[in-house]
Amino acid sequence: MNQETTVQHHSAAVLQMKGVSKIIKGKAIVDKLSFEIRKGEIVGLLGPNGAGKTTTIRMMTGLIKMSEGDVIVNGYSMREHFNSAIAHIGAIIENPEFYPYMTGLENLRQYQRMTDQLEPGRIDEVVRLVGLQDAMNKKVKAYSLGMRQRLGIAQALLHRPKLLILDEPTNGLDPAGIREMREYMRTIAEVEGISILISSHMLAEIEQICHRAVVIQNGRLITVSELGTARRTDEHVILTLRVDSVEAAVVVAEQQEGVELMEAEPEIRQIRVKMMDSRVPDFVKALGARGVGLYRISEDKQSLEEEFLKWTGGNQIA
Amino acid sequence: MRNFNRLIVNEWLKMSRKKSFLIPFLIVLVLPLLVGYVSHTFSTQTPEPGGAFMKDSLLPSGIGQIVTILAVIGTAGMVAKEYSLGTIKFLLIRARSRTVILGSKYMTALLYGFTLTLVTLISGFTAEMIWFADGIQSLDVQMILMSLLYGLVYTAVYVTFGFMMGILTTSTGATIGITMFVIMLDKIMIFRDFYKYMLFPNMNLSVYQDGGAPLPGMTLSFSSIVLSVYTLLFLLISFTVFRRRDVA
Ligand SMILES: Nc1ncnc2c1ncn2[C@@H]1O[C@H](COP(=O)(O)OP(=O)(O)OP(=O)(O)O)[C@@H](O)[C@H]1O
Ligand SMILES: [Mg+2]
Repeated sequence: MNQETTVQHHSAAVLQMKGVSKIIKGKAIVDKLSFEIRKGEIVGLLGPNGAGKTTTIRMMTGLIKMSEGDVIVNGYSMREHFNSAIAHIGAIIENPEFYPYMTGLENLRQYQRMTDQLEPGRIDEVVRLVGLQDAMNKKVKAYSLGMRQRLGIAQALLHRPKLLILDEPTNGLDPAGIREMREYMRTIAEVEGISILISSHMLAEIEQICHRAVVIQNGRLITVSELGTARRTDEHVILTLRVDSVEAAVVVAEQQEGVELMEAEPEIRQIRVKMMDSRVPDFVKALGARGVGLYRISEDKQSLEEEFLKWTGGNQIA
Repeated sequence: MRNFNRLIVNEWLKMSRKKSFLIPFLIVLVLPLLVGYVSHTFSTQTPEPGGAFMKDSLLPSGIGQIVTILAVIGTAGMVAKEYSLGTIKFLLIRARSRTVILGSKYMTALLYGFTLTLVTLISGFTAEMIWFADGIQSLDVQMILMSLLYGLVYTAVYVTFGFMMGILTTSTGATIGITMFVIMLDKIMIFRDFYKYMLFPNMNLSVYQDGGAPLPGMTLSFSSIVLSVYTLLFLLISFTVFRRRDVA
């Protein structure tokens, strides 16, 4: 999680989901979902297949009606002031589909004509941002999926939205394409200074780029997890140490104040200890003072993957 | 208003950027000339010189019906294609209400039908002048304008019907099929009183020109009212369904 930009915790929400539900034939596909996306934040909407991610995004963008609740975008209610609310959103929902018989440029012009202000240089700007300059005069039917994704992003950014919503943006892309996409998202968040919501069923993807993950399953909110934040020093950490002498290390761990020995495995010359983050330097110093040779020190992070499986109860598909 | 015009430009481009766009225009350009040439050269009964040929090329009983069919085919996909291509998603997530978006599509559909009619008019006029008329003064301008109006009404009502079908079925093929079927049906006359309230016997307003009526009790104003009511009904259904429908 090498996220340079820090989250501003108290900045205003760009989007608020307020108890949003979608009920089809008596079944709640999305069930009283509430969360918010703050300014400049990259949020992952995470859930297994069929969790209701696409349905949620369709409601956020007004493609389908909410059965209850409301979405507030930049202060505007999606229900009451659709035009003002949607004006702050750019989105790709499932696959990016364009008019195949038109060129990339003609397609973008379509959407430019639907904005309130025509900015003459804006198309060039977004096209450069996604690196599609050379393909602009090609018909979209000749585009690869990766190119259509990029054109989709250009389309979504055209009207300078405050929030970009991407539904499974890496779906169907090859590893190089996925990496490229990740880079675009970082660039966009920086250059355009906007918030991004990315839906995905892949944890790794969310973990790598998002500040927070909103986890849903069966249409319900399971948890919201902070990802990219700097670790607070009053938190406990669990460390695994590889040492030359386990016995000596155990002695140090037992004597050192505030350090809890969790496990000692002499066969593989490892110990596991738990302590406050702020106490780690002193402990390392103490090991050195006793002449314990230290080969490796690594943090036992409970990865998002484990948490995710815990939250969603394995990989069952709803 | 500027915003609305830009939406119409969009819709027109979506039609005109297709390779097949010019074909219907070529058909309505060539057909009156071809028919005019053939009937002038090979037929013993040539139309009267006062503009009867032009009139026939505009009315639903003549070439006018082909204009209507082409207009329906050309506009059937305006809504349906957005669904089948999936472009409906990008179209509807703009700061434009669904009513305005559909309104611009409907206006463009009418514009398309009118443009086809205009080309037919020009081509019919050319044929008239080459083979039938005794100079431009001999033309019965009022009759020609009335025929133009009746032709436009016939086209507009069917384009509206097709427009509604496109929204209801979201399939271009089904829209064309159903609308063609209905256009074929409108020749059938059922001699019962209720039938005058149906759409079909009222479609061709030119039947009143020589004082006749398809069914007893029918007049030009009666038919005009019936057509207006049906057209409004089609539009009401179209807009209501399009505004409410979930786009999945
Ligand atoms: N129109 C509909 N009618 C009935 N059920 C629906 C409808 N749309 C979606 N569903 C159901 O709602 C659930 C959530 O669907 P949704 O597409 O939102 O999931 P998702 O999280 O996007 O899944 P995926 O990761 O597969 O894209 C699924 O079980 C789906 O079958
Ligand atoms: Mg989905």
